Amino acid sequence: MHNVLIIDDIDINLTLIKALVLKLGECNPLLFDNPLAALEWCRSNVPDLVIVDYMMPEMDGLKFIAAFRALHGRNEIPVLMITANDQKDVRYEALLGGANDFLTKPIDRVEFSARARNMLSLRTGQKFLADRAEHLASLVEERTAEIREREKELIFRISRAAEFRDPETGAHIQRMAHYSQIIALGLDLSLEQQRLILEAAPMHDVGKIGIPDYILLKPGKLTVEEFEVMKGHARIGYEMLKDSRSEIMQAGAEVAISHHEKFDGTGYPNGLKGQQIPLFGRIVAVADVFDALTSERPYKRAWSLEDACKFLEDGRGKHFDPLCVEAFLAGWEHVLEIRQRFRDEEAPQI
Amino acid sequence: MTGAFVLDKTSILDRLGGDEEIFTMMVDMYVEDLDSNCEALSAALVSGDVSVLRREAHTVKGLLATFSDDDGAAEAALVEQNASQGIVADQAAAVAGLLARMRQVAEVLRAG
Repeated sequence: MHNVLIIDDIDINLTLIKALVLKLGECNPLLFDNPLAALEWCRSNVPDLVIVDYMMPEMDGLKFIAAFRALHGRNEIPVLMITANDQKDVRYEALLGGANDFLTKPIDRVEFSARARNMLSLRTGQKFLADRAEHLASLVEERTAEIREREKELIFRISRAAEFRDPETGAHIQRMAHYSQIIALGLDLSLEQQRLILEAAPMHDVGKIGIPDYILLKPGKLTVEEFEVMKGHARIGYEMLKDSRSEIMQAGAEVAISHHEKFDGTGYPNGLKGQQIPLFGRIVAVADVFDALTSERPYKRAWSLEDACKFLEDGRGKHFDPLCVEAFLAGWEHVLEIRQRFRDEEAPQI
Repeated sequence: MTGAFVLDKTSILDRLGGDEEIFTMMVDMYVEDLDSNCEALSAALVSGDVSVLRREAHTVKGLLATFSDDDGAAEAALVEQNASQGIVADQAAAVAGLLARMRQVAEVLRAG
């Protein structure tokens, strides 16, 4: 059913046009004898065709068309302007001003039907294209979401692969990723950046895949030489991820190579200092250390929350970026929620 | 001086696609609105406002053209055109003629 807006200040014209519109079939005529009232209606409704007279008291047809076209989303709606036979200049002006076609008075039914049907066909085509575009956009969105989900799953599984060669648990990865997100929130990073670090943080230790078992799984303290090899996991992780076109993988590469840097420049692999360390690396450093300290491992007992917090506070400006520590502690309630949600026994999916 | 209005129902119906129902409805509305349309035209002349007179003459032109009254529509067009050139007071006779024409058309339409 097409909504056909008819605007004419003369009742007899409104009645005539309404009768002709009804003869077209599948049309719902909406009559206005005042163009201002019609314009008001158009602010919250979208007609399929507008038939407007030229000469009206409050606002002439040309001004109506200009105001109608200025409304959002009304630029493509077909408009037929009614003019007298001797108003050639007005007809030109109407066509230039946004009318799609015109009708001459006295109205001829054959001419009216042909022009109105053409305009309604145009509108039907517009709607079809709009629906199709919307359908395609939603399909693209759906597929993009699927790809993103697959990407997230892939990242999770890569991270898990590294875990199988390491005493760390799946829950550790979940917790440290969410702690990183809490810090990003506290630093007022955008929602997009918060989401990105949540997804990229799990890859911080992915380079451990490249560390020999006798070092990675060694129960005792590492020798100086062994520790040097162990430190290589940061660069290996970076090399694994750096060339990806995925934004998440690129962020993962940045996290991998920078999460062991220290704020005072004594970290590895590059000995970066302060703001030289990428922000994601500074964030993940706090999140990763806090969770490692408060988790029980075969070779150590879990630290108390108080002791772990003190460690972070003492490490401000030395190991950690003070702002990241502050943001982490500011989100303490959320930190406790995450600890509760991701326990070592069961690790829900991200 | 224009000739008397002669109803050419065939040509009007031809324009309306042979639809008697619409024709009858339009005739009824013309007759019904005659007094108010005449009053509006008279008031426009009295007001001395060129834009009002122009608009009312334009309306009458459309009404008469609807009933294929080419002569009457031409009279209305002249009033409209003069008004658009700023002439009002000197149009009293033309407006009076137009009023008479509108009533004459109504008479003929009533007679069928």
